[in-house]
Amino acid sequence: MTAYVIDHENVKALLGQLIQQQENARAIDWLQQRQELQQTAPLTRDFLQTFTAMPRFTGKQPVKPVTEIMEALEKAIPGFFVYDWTLDRLARVWWMLFIPAAEKSIYVNQVEALFNGAEMNELAALYSALPLLAYPEEWIARTADGIRSNIAPVQEAIMLHNPYPAQYLPEAAWNQLVMKAIFTEKPLNQIYGLQKRSNEALAAIITDFAHERQAAGRPVNPLQWQLLTNFLSTANFPDITRLWQSAYNVEKEAAALVCYHSNYPPAKELLASAPYLADEINTGSLTWDKIAATINLS
Amino acid sequence: MCGIHDLTEQDLQPLAHSPAYLDKIKGMKFFDPHVHMTSRTTDDYQAMADAGVVAIIEPAFWLGQPRTGVDSFRDYFSSLVGWERFRSSQFGIKHYCTIGLNSKEANNEKLAEAVMEILPQFIYKEGVVGIGEIGFDDQTALEEKYYRAQLELAKEANLPVQIHTPHRDKKQGTRRSMDIALEHGLDPKMVIVDHNNEETVKEVLDRGFWAAFTIYPFTKMGNERMVQVVKQYGSERIMINSAADWGISDPLAVPKTAALMHESGIDSNDIHLVTYKNALTAFAQSGQINESDFGVVTDQSEKFNGSTVLRGGQQPRINKNTTIIR
Repeated sequence: MTAYVIDHENVKALLGQLIQQQENARAIDWLQQRQELQQTAPLTRDFLQTFTAMPRFTGKQPVKPVTEIMEALEKAIPGFFVYDWTLDRLARVWWMLFIPAAEKSIYVNQVEALFNGAEMNELAALYSALPLLAYPEEWIARTADGIRSNIAPVQEAIMLHNPYPAQYLPEAAWNQLVMKAIFTEKPLNQIYGLQKRSNEALAAIITDFAHERQAAGRPVNPLQWQLLTNFLSTANFPDITRLWQSAYNVEKEAAALVCYHSNYPPAKELLASAPYLADEINTGSLTWDKIAATINLS
Repeated sequence: MCGIHDLTEQDLQPLAHSPAYLDKIKGMKFFDPHVHMTSRTTDDYQAMADAGVVAIIEPAFWLGQPRTGVDSFRDYFSSLVGWERFRSSQFGIKHYCTIGLNSKEANNEKLAEAVMEILPQFIYKEGVVGIGEIGFDDQTALEEKYYRAQLELAKEANLPVQIHTPHRDKKQGTRRSMDIALEHGLDPKMVIVDHNNEETVKEVLDRGFWAAFTIYPFTKMGNERMVQVVKQYGSERIMINSAADWGISDPLAVPKTAALMHESGIDSNDIHLVTYKNALTAFAQSGQINESDFGVVTDQSEKFNGSTVLRGGQQPRINKNTTIIR
């Protein structure tokens, strides 16, 4: 069994090239030294210290994107995203790829040691690295645990632009991720695999949650209704109808998108009553991304 | 209309009623280089932010309840660089810490050994601005052993040291702490001697160390005494802090003392030095402090609606003077 599910050498080289392109001589020199040390006399203590001390030497400048490298990374790991990272995070994620992976227990212990002593930015880097780690099934419990964090940057590292959770989390943990993202007001459209991992249990939770908020006189994020698309029924369709009748355009548009993408016959009928909305969806001028942009700007 | 909290700009403004002393220090910024926020509430963070505190240092200390295992220390250190730092940022206060084995728990030798093992994993973390607070409590042999070992760690990492001086036999304990630091080859400029009083300050300054004063009711300095100290010794290498913790203490000690100094006719440049600048200069020697991070709150150009308003995780204000809770 191979430890990695990704092309490890290729990804390591790509991240290394991206670091090289950041025009930060001090960081590059130091990383070069630490890399040589790691290859000639590998000591756990030095490895951990390099990871921890990273920002002292790399600084925290935003990563400058290099299109060819970004595209190659996206090809190697669909959904993997480094656009809004800082250099210390990029270097830490790259550094993770130096952990010897041949022996599973050694590898797992090393990664666990990093998690156990990590502060906020280290945790964000560790969770960002999830899609690149060897033995991917080993990090499921760790990810579920990270979703329970109350620290926004840590939540974001797991929830947003990260392909690992959609690929590996079991349904209950995935649903917890989505609900926590809603509670903590994350941009839902940035959750990788949101539509693909929608499920009946989550649709029921979302509907109950919407009712609770309505009872408390609190608004409901219209993006969450997309999770009902494939699970419309007599139980939840009244919610879509109510949305359709809402005074807020954005809510009516959300209802239209749900109906458009659903195969539920009453939904098709409802949508037929406002053909202009179906047209907007057909022409691509009305999408969930557009709704996401609207609610962030309103 | 679509966010969960639906904050308005008004929800993020300071409360309308403010104590009179705040007027005297309006527009001033403060750096409290010693405060144990782990033991304080969010109300304290809001009050500190309203009073102009923009940055703090939380030294590692004991928690009242003795710890029985190294994992408790690990979690405590993690919380100083993790949760507490995040909590603080929600109120626009930049949180730094010093990491170390405190003198009280240095007396549990087995535990102390285990803590020394994990310290290197923490002292290189971002925002760790020194080794502290370390030094003497009862002035036992074990306290001395671990004080010395941590001075060596500080030297190796090129980090400032924040020294806790004892309540009992203070003058001797302070002198001994300085003697040992010099014996280990530390530059006095890298050492902040804390909890000074009228009896210790002269020697600390004469020997080239930083002299910190803790404004803490009953057991340490009162701020009227502090005014006299600054009148007598000036502002060079002197800084004040609150050391607020789980005891009867005051997280607003620094701004309140600044107000009192102002009232007592102390020059505003001197007030600035002892309530902000000197602490910054001393601890910035760690290379871990960036003044532009201080007091950063929500970008006011962001919309106050939807999710963007809480970009920095800023917390909404609640009106405490009403029986209604929403």
